[in-house]
This record gives sequence, structure tokens and C-alpha cells, in this order.
Amino acid sequence: MEATHDVLVVGAGCAGMRAAIEAYDAGANVAVISKLHPTRSHSGAAEGGINAALGNAAEDSPEIHAFDTVKGSDYLGDQDAIEIFTREAPGDIYQLEHWGAFFSRMVDGRLAQRPFGAAGSPRTVFAADITGHVLIQVLYEQLVKRDITVYEEYFAWKLVENDGRCQGVICWDLLNGGIKVVGGKTTILATGGQGRIYRTTTNAYACTGDGAAMALRMGLPLKDMEFMQFHPTTLYPTGILLTEGCRGEGAYLINSEGERFMKTYAPNAMELASRDVVSRAEQTEIDAGRGINGSVMLDMRHLGAERIIERLPGSRELSMTFAGLDPIYDPIPVRPGAHYHMGGIETDNDGATELTGLYAAGEVACVSVHGANRLGGNSLMETITFGRRSGRAAAEWALSNTTIDVPRSAEADAERDLRGLLDVTEGERPWQIRNDLGTSMLDNFGVFRREEQMAKQIEIIGELRERYARGVIVEDKGEVFNSDLVQAIELGNMIDLAACMLQAGIARKESRGAHARPYDYPTRDDENFMKHSITRWVGDGPVLSYKDVRYTKYDPMERKY
Amino acid sequence: MQVGLKVWRFNSRTGERELQEYEIAAPEEATLLDCLDIVKDQHDGTLAYRKSCRMMICGSCGMRMDGAAVLACKTRMYDIAQAGHVPVISAMGNLPIVKDLVVDMEPFWDKFKSVDPFLQPGYEEPPDGKEYRIGQARMNVIHKEALCINCGCCVSECNSMEADPRFLGPQALAKAMRFVGDPRDGNKIARLEKLNGEHGIWECTRCYMCTERCPKGVDPRDAIAKLGAESMHEGIDRDMGAKHAKWFVVSAKTTGWLRETELVPKTQGVISAIKQTRFALDLALKGKVPPPFPPHVAKNVKESRRLHDLTTQQGPKGYMGIVQGERALGKLAHGHTAEDETLAEIYARPGAFTRPFIAGEELEAPVFLEKPPER
Repeated sequence: MEATHDVLVVGAGCAGMRAAIEAYDAGANVAVISKLHPTRSHSGAAEGGINAALGNAAEDSPEIHAFDTVKGSDYLGDQDAIEIFTREAPGDIYQLEHWGAFFSRMVDGRLAQRPFGAAGSPRTVFAADITGHVLIQVLYEQLVKRDITVYEEYFAWKLVENDGRCQGVICWDLLNGGIKVVGGKTTILATGGQGRIYRTTTNAYACTGDGAAMALRMGLPLKDMEFMQFHPTTLYPTGILLTEGCRGEGAYLINSEGERFMKTYAPNAMELASRDVVSRAEQTEIDAGRGINGSVMLDMRHLGAERIIERLPGSRELSMTFAGLDPIYDPIPVRPGAHYHMGGIETDNDGATELTGLYAAGEVACVSVHGANRLGGNSLMETITFGRRSGRAAAEWALSNTTIDVPRSAEADAERDLRGLLDVTEGERPWQIRNDLGTSMLDNFGVFRREEQMAKQIEIIGELRERYARGVIVEDKGEVFNSDLVQAIELGNMIDLAACMLQAGIARKESRGAHARPYDYPTRDDENFMKHSITRWVGDGPVLSYKDVRYTKYDPMERKY
Repeated sequence: MQVGLKVWRFNSRTGERELQEYEIAAPEEATLLDCLDIVKDQHDGTLAYRKSCRMMICGSCGMRMDGAAVLACKTRMYDIAQAGHVPVISAMGNLPIVKDLVVDMEPFWDKFKSVDPFLQPGYEEPPDGKEYRIGQARMNVIHKEALCINCGCCVSECNSMEADPRFLGPQALAKAMRFVGDPRDGNKIARLEKLNGEHGIWECTRCYMCTERCPKGVDPRDAIAKLGAESMHEGIDRDMGAKHAKWFVVSAKTTGWLRETELVPKTQGVISAIKQTRFALDLALKGKVPPPFPPHVAKNVKESRRLHDLTTQQGPKGYMGIVQGERALGKLAHGHTAEDETLAEIYARPGAFTRPFIAGEELEAPVFLEKPPER
């Protein structure tokens, strides 16, 4: 075994680093494992901002924030978790600011807040449009300050369960090669999302759902897997994200007839309706032939050069680099793209999973704060608040328990599996399977979902699993920086997670949040489906069950924006 | 489109290097990173490079194209392919190569860590438990430095680091400036003392390659200049580099030209200068040193003095001031022609780069910090 620690954090994005810092401050010996260097994590690509009811820009309160979040979740969010979340968010923001976060300011020197979709008050704290970058930097700075051990470029591959507890992680050392086993009294999974299942996504190449897949293979329940958020403004054709902050600052969405089409779909909130609503509106326009090259236009020209340069410089840079267009002078072609997975490993409000000693936080987890649809700006806040809570809980558990016992067989088994992967000579290269998965998921399980397409997709995923099982060839047989091997393992993770998503999706016979079935079940069915779907892997496939939503005081009502 | 690439491979086991050529079909919007992905997927799975976000924010894919550091995800290949050019792709410079295009970033991060890259608050937290109150304009002083994504492109191109691998280098120094210039930080003097040590700010040769190659507009050379200006403003000027710079000013102000003979003793001290007498004589014999006698004053010395006065009057001292003529540089870099065109207008032009903080602009904006604690 490489080393042992009280708390092991897998993943070094905002949730992982925040958890590590909190566990360290609680007195635990902490280490972070990440397949990237911490500042390369995809949290850094978040642009628009982070929601907390500070009330700086207009009157606001945690209660209003909670109401907006519950409504935005289409009443699938757990209301007690949401209340904790909105109550603790402001303190977490002040903490980040005291650590040195480079947030944008108002004239009087307080933190600036901008309007975001489906928010009753301008409550999104931001740093121009590089908020994630600023948070990643400040959290890494705090990690360095505490001299917390980071196992950089370690690909976490399997969890070690022994004696009914999670006791460590088996990793592949990407830089030097070799299996490395790291023991931990507690482990926090903070590995992020799985957007790479889709061909058009805002997510980084690293977002392959590794943590969720590891938990799935341990027999742990995944929750609400069918809910994949499509962000309304991703650049054509690359799928690169343009922040909701563009619309927050006042940008319009225009169809090929030059109309602000949102007036038909959300006459009050217009472009600032919730993301599921705007994405559906765009897709409807595109499907009705009122798009341009399968896109609609994001028009910022009326904002003027000064505002775009000051508030949206990153979006301008991205548009210029990847679309060759300057938003000061040109409308930018955008379309919905896979962005955020609301579902994930089921946890309680302290990040604890069903397996003793295992916690989860951030996008990989499903507390659930976001329910069927996440509000823009809530995910960064979730990483911080629930990262902190899980770090605290994991440290407390670790400090009151003493032993770590990783059986020698665990390492030997992993070594054997790995050899098995490297020794494959018959089969195909992973990229073809990966492309087929991404394209078919986008076609059959996108913004709108049809029964027959979902049934077809289940078959396709079955075929892809077979092709994968028949053998994918890893051409690189070397030890040093073998990213070819890692990509092959990641693909296996994504195929299984896609199977879970489809099973939960076809069974949810209603339209709720990001799960839209306009052709057969166009409305929400609270009687039968105000429930979380729970997926477990049993034998050779996922098994579905349901669990009630936790309710405090927000009664379901129709969602209009 | 058809894209050709020549990639410098490096085999970590044998230590062999080899230039390998690939010819691939890629979509027209493809970036260098997309092309490498096509190579890896469909042609050669053993090719190694780092990647993640593919939207120029994670900083993973720094590498060299035709000898110049770039982010692979930011580099569109269309024009290059149309021109029939086959670029040479290699790993970044100044860092040990691990495999193919992957470098060992550990020396980079060691330097990053050595500048204490975290806020050391100089003020009590506001009594209401809320945020420190600071105007945006004051924060903008370190806006460029806060954009850094740690990709290493500047370090790759640093000429000074090539000569002295222990030089802190542009990235670490830009990071240091991000805290020296943060009004919430209380450890400025100690930071500056450290940065004025061996392998510190004065080892920069001002070649501007870091600024030239930075894919995010961080402008590390500007950060280093600001650190120098602030050091002198705080009286931290014992380093030869600082003395050297100061003598330039004195010389230009008094006689209007650079008195090189006096430069050596003023910079290195008298004893060191005497030791170099032989070298100086050799130079003089070859006509490389202007004779110090008779001393003379430049004809238009008044102009030089006026320039000096103008600069000293131009706003605040130290890093808040104008350290290297940003206005002029900004105008030059963006093809400024019309006299009355403002910087805002220049940066608003189609395709203009992200607007940097312009020293001296809007600095009257208030800073609302509580009093520092008693130490």
C-alpha cells in the first residue's frame, strides 16, 4: 500500500478541494487523489457565478432562494437539503472572499450580484465570467497553504470495500505507471459529472463519471439518473459553454425570423427562464425550421462594448476563438448541449452514502438539491456547501475510528484486471464505440424524449456494452503517461452509466424538469412520479426502484416563468 | 480538410527522440488539440499529451508549435492547413519531458508554491462577518494576474530561466504580484523582500517572451515590472538589478545619456568594479566603451529631464503607477492611429484582445477596509 490517510478525497474540483480543506481544518490527515492537477479540474470552466442570498443587489433571503430552487427542481429536490443549502450559502461565500477570492464588486465595495435564470432576485455572485476559475484558484491556494498531500495524475479506478466499510482507493499512476493503493478511513468521491456520454457537451474530456461508476459497481444506489441538463447556450459547433451570465446581463435569443422567441414560451422571464424551459424553446424553434444551421442566435450587441468587455470578456474570447465572431458586432450561434447531470450517488445531507466510510459531494452526488432541473449558479454553490459538509462529516467519522485494513488481494486483483485490459489484441479501438455512444445519446435521449427512441437507445447501449466486452484495444502498452489505457477504462464507465440513465428515463412516464416527453406524457404527474428514481447494479444490469422526495413546506404548483 | 503534423516523440524508457509525421482528415473548425485527438484515436494510440477542458481555461494542453508555446485547444488549424504548412509539434521548453508532449510540471509547481501563493490577510475580518469592502477599480490592479491558468506557456519561453533554471520565472512572479497587489493582503513587505532575493525579480531580462506567448493576456513581464516598482517604492533596492535600474534614471536625468563607465560601480559596487578593470580595458581598446572623459551633457538634456518629471508626476507610485508605459504599449499593440481614440475604443475594435487594467485609470475608487490589527 502506498500510504494511508484519515480522509481520502477523490477528485480535486471545487467540491473535492473544499472537502479536503474542511477535513484538514477538523484535524484529519487528508490526501487528495485526482486524475488531473487540481487547477485543471472542470469546476474551473464554470463561468457565470455562484448563488447565495446575500441581498447585496436587491432584497433577498435564503427562503426566497429555497423557493426558487424547489420550483426550479420541478419539485423533485429534497426540500430539507435545499433549506440547509440556501441557509449556509452566504457564510460560505464570505469565507471564500476572506480567503482571497477575486469576485467582482459593486461601487460601494461589496460583492456584486447578477440576475440568473429563474431566480427571484439577482443573487449570483460572480467574477466577470470566469467564476469557476477564480474559485479553483482560491481553493488550490488554500490547499497549498495547508500543505495537503495531492496524488496528482492518479486515476482512481476502484474502491476497496472490506468489513462493510470503504477503506481505500485503487489507482493507476498516470505519470509513472503502476497500480497504487491508497488507504483511507473515509473516502469522499468528488469526481464530477459525466457529460462526455454525449457528443455535444460543455464538459471537459475528463468528465466521464468515474466516481458514479465506481459506486455503482460497489452496489450503491444512484439517484435520478435520467436528469441530464441541457444548457441553452453552447457554441455551434463545438458545444463550448457561453455563460447564462450573457443573458443575465441582458442578451437576447433570436430565431431565424429575427424574433425574441422566448416571448412565446416564458413571457415574463423571457431569456431568463429556467434552463430546461429555454433549452426546450430553442429546440422547438430549431425543429420547426426557425433555426440557422441547427442553432439560434445569442445577441449581445445591444449591451455595448463597455459592458461586454467588463462583464463578459471570457465569453467574448471564446466566441472569437471558436466561432470567429465578436459578440460586440455579431450575434453568436448557440444551441442546447449536455451540461450538468442532476443525478448521482445518493447521499444524505452530510454527503454520507449507503456504504460506511464513503461520502460523495458535488456533481457526482445527488443530495438532492437540484431535483429534475438545476438553476444556474447553484452547482458551484453546492460544491462548496456540501463539499464542506461532507469534509466535516468524513473527518469526524475518521477521527473516531482507527483502523485501515486493505486486503492484499485487492491490489493483486486490480493488477490482474489491468493486465487483462492491456493484453487485448482482438477487438476495436475505443473511439468508435465512444463516438457511437455520444451520437446515439444525443439523438435518442436529448432535450425531448420519445418512448420508441428510448427503447431503441437501450438496445444500442446493449450492443455497445457487448462490443466493449468483446474487447477494446489499448495500443499503448507502456507504463508512462498511458492515457490510452485510462480512456478505455473511462469508456466502460460511461456505457454503464448511460444504461442507468436510459432505464430510469423510459420508466419515468411524465415530463418533469429536464426529462421532457411532449409526445406521450406532456405533463408532470405528481401522484405517481414525485419520487426519486433509484438505480442499483445487480448482476449484469441496472435495477430500478423509487424513493419519496423529502418535503418541508413548499407545495407543488405549476411552473411558469 | 487534410492536416499534416510533425510531432516530436520522446520515449521515456530509451530516452530516444524521433520526429514523426502524421497526415489526417479533420473538420474545418478543428483545433490543434482536435487534430492530436484524431491522431491518437485513429492513427497512433501511443501518442501522449495532456488535455481536459478544450476551452482554454484548464491549462492542460500547453505545447510548442513551430517552436512557440501555444495552448493546443486555442490553436485553429484551418489557415495552417490551407497554406499547406506542416507544423512541428513538440513539448514545452524549460521543463523536463516525460513522454512525447507531456512535461514534468513539478519544477513549475515548486516555484509556484515558493512564493506563498495564498492570501495572508492584513486586516481583521469585517465585524459583521461579511465581505471586505473594496472597489472594483482597486481590484482591477491585479485583474490580469488573476487570469493565469498555470499552463506554463510563459515558463516554456522564458530566456532567463534557460540560463538559470532556478529563476522563479514569469508564472510564479505573476502569482506573487496577484497577492502583493491584493489590498486584503498584509504581508507585502515580507513578500517583496523574498522576491528581491537570489533568482528573484531582477533576474528577468525583459525579453517579453512570456507576455508575447501567454494565451490568456496575463502579461507576466508587466507583473514583474510592478513588483520592481513596488520594491523600490518601499525602499527595497539593494539588489544589483534595482541599483542598475536606478542608475539608468539618474544618468538620464543628469546628463541625458547613459554613463556606462559609472554603471558598473553603481550596480555592482566599487570592489567588484575594480576586479573588472582588465575586462573594461579590453573593451575600451576594442572601442566598445565610450571614453568617460571629458564628461559631457547631452545637447537636448532638457527633454530627457522633462520626460523624467512627466513620468514622476503621472499618478501614483509603485505598482499602482505606470511602470512600463502601458498606454503607449497598448496603443501600439492595437494599431492605434487616431490621436483622440480612447483605450476603451481601441479594445472594443473587432477582434481586439481582452482589455488589460490600465494603470492610473479610475484609481480614485474607494477602498473600504477596516483598520489593520495591532501586531
